[in-house]
Amino acid sequence: MRLSMGVKGVRPVAALLLAASLLLPAAGPVAAAGPVVLTVGTTQDLDSTNPFNTYLVSGYEVFQLTYDLLTNFSLDTSPGPGFADTWVRSPDKVTYHIRDGMKWSDGKPATSKDVCYSWGLAMAAIADGANIGAGYLDPNVKDAGVTKIECPDASTFVAYTTDQSDRIFQVYVPILPEHVYGKVDYKKMADEKFNAPLVGTGPYTLAEWKTGQFARFVRNPNYWGQQGFEDQVVIRFFPDNADAMFQALKNGELDYAHGVNPDQFKQLQADPLYKTDAGKANGWTQLAFNTYGTGTGKTIPNGGPSTKALLDPAFRDALGYAVDKPTLVARVLGGFGDPGTTIVPPVLSDWHVDPTTPRTFDIELAKSKLDAAGYKLDASGSRLDKEGKPIKLRLYAPDSEAAYAKSAEFVKDWYGQLGIVVSTQILTSAALGELVLPPPDGTAKYDIELWGWAGNPDPNALLQIFRCDAIGGTSDSQYCNPDYDKLYDQQLKESGAQRKATLAQMQNLIYDQAPYDVLYYDANLDVHRTDRFAGWQNMPATGTPMFTYGDLVYTLLTDATIAPSPSPVPSEASATPAASASASASASAAVSSTAPATPAPSAATGTTSGGGSSNLLLGGLVLVLVVVVVGGLVVSRRRRTTAAGEDE
Amino acid sequence: MNAHYLARKLAQAFVTIVAILVLNFLMFRMMPGSPDRVLKNPNLTPEMIAATRARWGLDKPLIPDQLIAYVKATVSGDLGYSIFYRGQPVTDVLGATVGPTILLVGLGEVFAIIGGLAIGAYAGWRRGGKTDSIGTGASLILYSMPYFVIGMPLVVIFAAGLGWFPTSGMTTPGMSDQPLLNQAWDLGRHLVLPLLAVTLGLLGGYSILMRSSIIDTRNEDYITTARAKGLKDSWVLRHHAFPNAMLPMVTLIAINLGYVVAGAITAEIVFNWPGLGTLTIHALSARDYPVLQGIFLLVAVSVVIANLIADIVYGFLDPRVRA
Repeated sequence: MRLSMGVKGVRPVAALLLAASLLLPAAGPVAAAGPVVLTVGTTQDLDSTNPFNTYLVSGYEVFQLTYDLLTNFSLDTSPGPGFADTWVRSPDKVTYHIRDGMKWSDGKPATSKDVCYSWGLAMAAIADGANIGAGYLDPNVKDAGVTKIECPDASTFVAYTTDQSDRIFQVYVPILPEHVYGKVDYKKMADEKFNAPLVGTGPYTLAEWKTGQFARFVRNPNYWGQQGFEDQVVIRFFPDNADAMFQALKNGELDYAHGVNPDQFKQLQADPLYKTDAGKANGWTQLAFNTYGTGTGKTIPNGGPSTKALLDPAFRDALGYAVDKPTLVARVLGGFGDPGTTIVPPVLSDWHVDPTTPRTFDIELAKSKLDAAGYKLDASGSRLDKEGKPIKLRLYAPDSEAAYAKSAEFVKDWYGQLGIVVSTQILTSAALGELVLPPPDGTAKYDIELWGWAGNPDPNALLQIFRCDAIGGTSDSQYCNPDYDKLYDQQLKESGAQRKATLAQMQNLIYDQAPYDVLYYDANLDVHRTDRFAGWQNMPATGTPMFTYGDLVYTLLTDATIAPSPSPVPSEASATPAASASASASASAAVSSTAPATPAPSAATGTTSGGGSSNLLLGGLVLVLVVVVVGGLVVSRRRRTTAAGEDE
Repeated sequence: MNAHYLARKLAQAFVTIVAILVLNFLMFRMMPGSPDRVLKNPNLTPEMIAATRARWGLDKPLIPDQLIAYVKATVSGDLGYSIFYRGQPVTDVLGATVGPTILLVGLGEVFAIIGGLAIGAYAGWRRGGKTDSIGTGASLILYSMPYFVIGMPLVVIFAAGLGWFPTSGMTTPGMSDQPLLNQAWDLGRHLVLPLLAVTLGLLGGYSILMRSSIIDTRNEDYITTARAKGLKDSWVLRHHAFPNAMLPMVTLIAINLGYVVAGAITAEIVFNWPGLGTLTIHALSARDYPVLQGIFLLVAVSVVIANLIADIVYGFLDPRVRA
């Protein structure tokens, strides 16, 4: 029974070494020393490199670096040159000119054939009443009212439309290389792998994707616009792990971090090495009241809202006076965000209107409005509905962001002051998504859903949530109002001031009817280092440099380690630098002026700069101390045992 | 070791794996919720949702259709497609994460076993001595600390603070173009801190068990005999006490090795290590059933196999269990 540990131990070690050597990718060609790499971090994972399959912001960032849209976005988010360099709008169509001599990253010519293929995918899906993959991109074409597309010659693409709306310039359909994917029809597109390396016309093309780790992009030598300063772009993924991303940023591993938390943001605000951007998000966080049965009188056996009061606009209106939104912004968001009003976020400045009859925080007014609407207090201080039952509301929020649970506690307190008991529960996003479904998929057994939405450059994505036919789909308020639907259909055909007037009506209608109480418009908290790259621009001025509307900023960066020389190679896209310089000036001005919440927190954190990491260091030291003390105790205890000379 | 013993153990393992397979299928179906509702899409038509459900096989009855399809596919090595990583086979998703986990946790196990056994053996041999006091004290503390408690200070001090190591991840992007040696160096640098955290986290358990096992062995007559013969103390420890004290350790090691593929979830999260532990958490939050099932199957099967190996090794080591 002589068992040699040496031999026994060797085998697993050898096996592990073998496993380790298998892990190492095969050696590639030796690269030239030191490519300039821009490293960007995000707290999202990447779900798919197939543009039609991605659900996530990170996926959009990835495909927009590689591919062009027919028209991209300029710094102010207005339509800019993309796959097409110019376009002409006529009453029933838009005629695009495809850039002459443009090439794909593999050197093949890029022509209108590629556009007809890519938009053709969407057209075919629309004709069949179907979607492609995740179904996010092709509806853009439908929404733009495109009825027919044509490619009369290699440099011309024509799209016929039913209306004059601008939505045709916001179509997120990437122009794919026909010579690579041409044989794939829209039905098979969802199964298409899009394995790196990809062929694109964007400034950087995907070269490598390591699931859960990073996506690496290399310079497209044939890019039609101004070549970026960096040779490679790396997007690193820190799924739901803002702490790990923050540590990587502070360790110099990242140049840009998307989605830090408010504490980390404040800590870096005071540090001159970093530039922080609290970009206004195109979305909101809301209280969605379950109004199931409004207009239809339908009820759900064993489900639906717990009281008919929720179906009463006067009741919901009164509740609106009991929510102190500036407090939510200050206490829940750390000052980063804006109090919510109408359903088109202010960042869509062309379309947003403030409510004509705004509600302000006033608990007493809320009480008297409830009394006036027939919801009286009983002797014990409970608010009764018209059936004489105490109103108890079930509020549900998802666990995806800490802010939801915090906001819920505030709402619970404020409604409590009105005599309305709120029970809050936090669910996983998936479970909450299920819970709010009405028949036939669910029983919509909730009263208030506290959650959020993010929209597209065009407000339609957010506006459609309130349509009758969104019930069972995206509607989480179960709201149905034929007047609203009529306005929605009307605005589809309108543009400019006319559309804005209709959208104003719609925003006020929802605000006054209050199926939603928009709590706040969120902010994207992004941070970048200033020592390696310069030339950062916000897109739009109130937004963030990256993870916004496309890839433009990636090509505008310059070397921060040399004296700034604002004269990039003149090329087609360098029509922008002059404009962008002024845009950047106005951008920084706008940010500082439109973020009144910023000065106060930064002043407050000025004294505690570096507080986060020193706290952690302190924690580490305390831990070491605990180990030493407990270890010492154990040692002394052992000594005593030994001294007693006991034997087990 | 006879054929009968081996056959019985193999049959037991087989039955267990079949049971796991069926349970694995049922368990995930009993969980509330449906995967196609994970993400709300304002544009998806009901027809499209129905088509997607059909594509995912959710439109057919659970038993027998879905179960039969599942068993058939699993046996042929097809674990289906990931719901989150759309279009990627589960085997690919798992394959990409198994390697990093085995590298991290496997190496961690090896170091912890070597270190733990050494500390435990010396602590037990010189019971009540300084090695025992410090070694056992440290082991107890480490044993009671979760990976993330060990990992966080490591990140803060050695990565974010001193900047000696990268804070997270497994490789520096773009290294695939570099010579193999550079890649190995890069991987090594990324590996140090998570490996340290995992090793420290596992060390305590081995050391504590080894200590008590050595103490038991130390009181055996043959040890007294060996010492009476005038053999050197260290020789008696290494060649008489240690091999015999290893017997209970074999079980612990075998079982722990079975869990290597399960990963060290919290350690992987702290260091953003792209392993199975991190994947498990994400698959859970995205309700990525196929991936979760794959992970559970993989872990369960590897535990069964590790136990089988332990049984067989035990059969070799200890004639009494062969009966």
